[in-house]
Amino acid sequence: MSVVNEAQTGVAAGTETFEPKILAFACHWCTYSGADLAGLNRMNYPANVRVLRVPCSGRVNPQYILTALNQGVDGVLVCGCHPGDCHYVSGNYYAKRRLMAFRRMLQYTGLEPERFQVRWISGSEAGKFRDTVTSVVEQIRAIGPYTPDPALAALIDKGTDAQNPILPESVAAGEGGDAS
Amino acid sequence: MTVLQEAIRKRAAELLEAGEVVRVIAWGSGRFANQTSPLFVSAAADAEKIVFNDYCVNTLAKYALNEKVDGKIAVCVRGCDARAINRMIADNQMTRDEVYLLGVPCSGMKDRATDEVLPKCLTCTHRNPVVYDELLGEAVAEPAEEEVSGLRYSGIEAVEAMDREQRLEYFNEVFNSCIRCYACREVCPVCTCRECFVDQLRAGWQGKQNNLNENRFYNLIRVFHIGDRCIECGECARVCPMGLPLMELNRKWIKDLDELFAAGEEGLTDELDNTLGRYKTDDIEEFM
Amino acid sequence: MSRVGVFVCHCGSNIAGTVDVERVAEEAGKLPGVVLATTNKYMCSAPGQQAVKDAIVEHGLDRIVIASCSPRMHEATFRKMLAGTDINPYMLEIANVREQCSWVHKEKEVGTPKAVDLVKMAVAKVNYDAPLTTTTIPVNKRALIIGGGIAGMQAALDIADAGYPVTIVEKEPSLGGKMVMLDKTFPTMDCSACICTPKMTDVGAHPNITIKTLAEVESVGGYVGNFEVTIREKAKYVDYDSCTGCGLCETKCPQKVESEFDQGLAQRRAIYRPFAQAVPAKPSIDAAHCRKLVDGKCGVCEKLCPCGSIKFDDVDKVSTETYGAIIVATGYQLIDWTKIYGEYGGGRYKDVISGLQFERLVNASGPTEGHIQRPSDNTEPKTLVIIKCVGSRDPEKGKSYCSRACCMYSAKHAHQYLDKVKDGRCYVFYMDVRAAGKGYDEFYMNTQHDGARYVRGRVSKIYNQNGKLICQGEDTLLGSQVVVEADMVVVETAMVPADDANRIGSMLGITRDKDLWLSEAHPKLRPVETNSGGIYLAGTCQGPKDIPDSVAQASAAAMKVAILFSKDELESNAMIAHSTTSLCNGCGACVSICPYTAITLEEITVRENSRMVTRPVSKVNPGLCQGCGACTVACRPGAMDLRGFTDEQIMKEVAALCQW
Repeated sequence: MSVVNEAQTGVAAGTETFEPKILAFACHWCTYSGADLAGLNRMNYPANVRVLRVPCSGRVNPQYILTALNQGVDGVLVCGCHPGDCHYVSGNYYAKRRLMAFRRMLQYTGLEPERFQVRWISGSEAGKFRDTVTSVVEQIRAIGPYTPDPALAALIDKGTDAQNPILPESVAAGEGGDAS
Repeated sequence: MTVLQEAIRKRAAELLEAGEVVRVIAWGSGRFANQTSPLFVSAAADAEKIVFNDYCVNTLAKYALNEKVDGKIAVCVRGCDARAINRMIADNQMTRDEVYLLGVPCSGMKDRATDEVLPKCLTCTHRNPVVYDELLGEAVAEPAEEEVSGLRYSGIEAVEAMDREQRLEYFNEVFNSCIRCYACREVCPVCTCRECFVDQLRAGWQGKQNNLNENRFYNLIRVFHIGDRCIECGECARVCPMGLPLMELNRKWIKDLDELFAAGEEGLTDELDNTLGRYKTDDIEEFM
Repeated sequence: MSRVGVFVCHCGSNIAGTVDVERVAEEAGKLPGVVLATTNKYMCSAPGQQAVKDAIVEHGLDRIVIASCSPRMHEATFRKMLAGTDINPYMLEIANVREQCSWVHKEKEVGTPKAVDLVKMAVAKVNYDAPLTTTTIPVNKRALIIGGGIAGMQAALDIADAGYPVTIVEKEPSLGGKMVMLDKTFPTMDCSACICTPKMTDVGAHPNITIKTLAEVESVGGYVGNFEVTIREKAKYVDYDSCTGCGLCETKCPQKVESEFDQGLAQRRAIYRPFAQAVPAKPSIDAAHCRKLVDGKCGVCEKLCPCGSIKFDDVDKVSTETYGAIIVATGYQLIDWTKIYGEYGGGRYKDVISGLQFERLVNASGPTEGHIQRPSDNTEPKTLVIIKCVGSRDPEKGKSYCSRACCMYSAKHAHQYLDKVKDGRCYVFYMDVRAAGKGYDEFYMNTQHDGARYVRGRVSKIYNQNGKLICQGEDTLLGSQVVVEADMVVVETAMVPADDANRIGSMLGITRDKDLWLSEAHPKLRPVETNSGGIYLAGTCQGPKDIPDSVAQASAAAMKVAILFSKDELESNAMIAHSTTSLCNGCGACVSICPYTAITLEEITVRENSRMVTRPVSKVNPGLCQGCGACTVACRPGAMDLRGFTDEQIMKEVAALCQW
């Protein structure tokens, strides 16, 4: 919607290269600190990834992944501590089981395997974080944007954005919340 | 069949008469020929309304949950009903002493419209109840493993064999057809949440539109929620007004859990031991 | 509507160099709920913090987003800052625009839009932040120590000296553990009993220490600061209050039993103290062997006892007490080599003995009064073979790990043998010599100078020929077969966890590794803590160790307990799971998933559908929950949620990224 957003998604601006938008769930204790270390070491990686911090990969509900894909990200990456290193003993083992089954299910129903990936990255593996992000971005750039609902996408292209059925204005404006 | 029907009627009447149970859940005849529906009997005199024939397609267990009575409920249980009861006990939705289980062996039920054995019965692995208080009639022979195992996963293997675009097209078709009536949820003995995720507006899991995106979300999350607990009664697919292959989705999950974690069949005992609720440190690694 | 303040930090040029911070603030100003979006050179500095505090008052902010460095860096700083304002410290989100944005991208055109996205996600989340509070948990300043070996005793003494009451639960009739069975300790050759028994006496005499022997922990409930522990003290059949420990009863008891303390090389009576310096220095009756207790005939001790202390009708005492902290010091045992090493005779040859048996044999207070003799015929062995790594570093038959202490005590055994048997020859079969430690390598070199012959290789077979034990092996350095005609063989066997360790680990919620050693919370930085708050490890229950390491760990664990006890109350974690009762269907999926046993099912009685219904619902113990959130995903009804990372918040972050 904003100017910044359009400049960043190449497709919307009609430019040549497609810049995917990728959401990465990262556990606070391992991958998030690995990503911090990558920064500390001034490593470079593509800017397509947005990290969402969670306490543990066991906190990542498959429902978030599907929601993110439905709402317009081109790929989802879930990262946690290596099996055996979980700060909370066992969270990543549960995550592993859930996400493995869920990933198989998504692929079974036709999702490209590249769009949902899981990696174990420790707090010291800054290089691995950089390499993972770089490789996932390249893979998704190669397969193109994700259009989960072609009919809906066509509707939006026709300029019915104001009444966009998946974006009720109240949600976009953040009014639903009464947390205050 | 008529012998069994008599046996059920007799025991239902006796149990009600003696006050051992306050209700019996069985099958009764419906409005149309060869149609049956769940029947709730509260008086011994009404026991003769119970029928048991080739068309008793409903799995009864979940109806026991919705009976708000003070006292024991007798339920007729075949393999599928019994596994559903076990499932609900494991999930703390009822206790074993709240129900009296009339075991009924079953060799498979027929579709009223086509007069053919129901798809869900073709892949049944437990024709006799796995739990009961008394078994009416003689136990029937369980199907040979090779007879069922091929059928159980044949649909999934056919889909798996397609290439990705074909699968996408196939499932987009399926999800596009879904009208989100939630009949599959209502009938499912595993779906025992007090408020389904689709109705939880605050977290906003499920949008209200009927479109491919939302329908895919519903169907895949339904499977995620029940996948490791599904007792394979096949009721979801049977009740689907759009005839969607819902068991094909469930079974994919079941097959994967079995392949990955040797999950085995659910509902054979009333112990809680969900495959996704445990782990082994040497679980297979598929991500890297 | 919320009133969000967004503060974008320049961090000098660290952020501002590759992110157009003014532009980020400008975009943030357009986001829902944002009433103020501004920048500051250094947010974390005193003026930066003051600017935030002033803005809170001036603009009536009720929550803030700070776009700065990683939350791992300054989340705590800004929480602390908020504690001095009207805003709850948890009404704060941090957008990491330094480590994960400005530092990893080179151009402003790339860094700026990403920073804007990160701020959007933070604003979306902060809109759904709720004030969180911590609760305080009282601390019962009493420590429980499971195991009365050297580690347990050291920990007990340190905690007791710090002024807190301690209870030691020991399953044997006396304190002392394995150390008191040893003859001498490497590399100084101190007499083990001479340094261990004074500790035992100190423990026994310490006013802050209660000793429960022949006792075990039956169940543990509760959480840090408040463990409810049930302890069973087995019947001793001797009244310890009146018994003076004169030992008369032991002299006349007619029933002889193989001595556990002497590793089966000597006998004890059915009423006994395991060894002379036992603490408590009073006997107990071994009910399985006592003639009076087994078939009702005898009772000699009762007749002899001048104090009338024998009580054949004694029963187990079960007590439940509250402790604030628990140290597990259950120690090790030696692997039963006779079951897995058939090629060494599998226990058929009396003169193939374990290292611990050798310790008793060479001990002046042992069965042979320190004379090294073959158990079979009491002759002095002229050729001794020592085999190292029996069960250690042998993944095929035994354990894959190194037992750490054996290299040194086998050198000690060789040294002691050569010292006592002047014309003896000693061969040590080894895989490697690992003598890392103060004075350790010197000790090993001295042993070689003493004349011990080190042969690099494993013994493949031992068989008996004319009263000699023929040891066949390979010298891998020379590449040739070696055959030694030995009079006695000592197998230096692997350490494995004590029998009870697995049960205790599971009872206390401590993870066990593949070999059932109890796992520390972090192998490097939290070596004495476990993942359960208030539960610590000392000594070999955590893995093979020698005495100095065990003692050091015990003192470290004691220090952790003292730190815990230095506070009257503990603050619980604010960002923990909680269950919404109206949504919970009581399925219990969360209960088994929780690694901290923080979730239990509780019955509630409520009015539903016009009738009273009793149903189970899950309940989170705020003292135990560590906030991992694994339960939230297992909860299909969505009843379980994690404060600070709620489903709603994460969904809004996702939506903000995609739709704003």
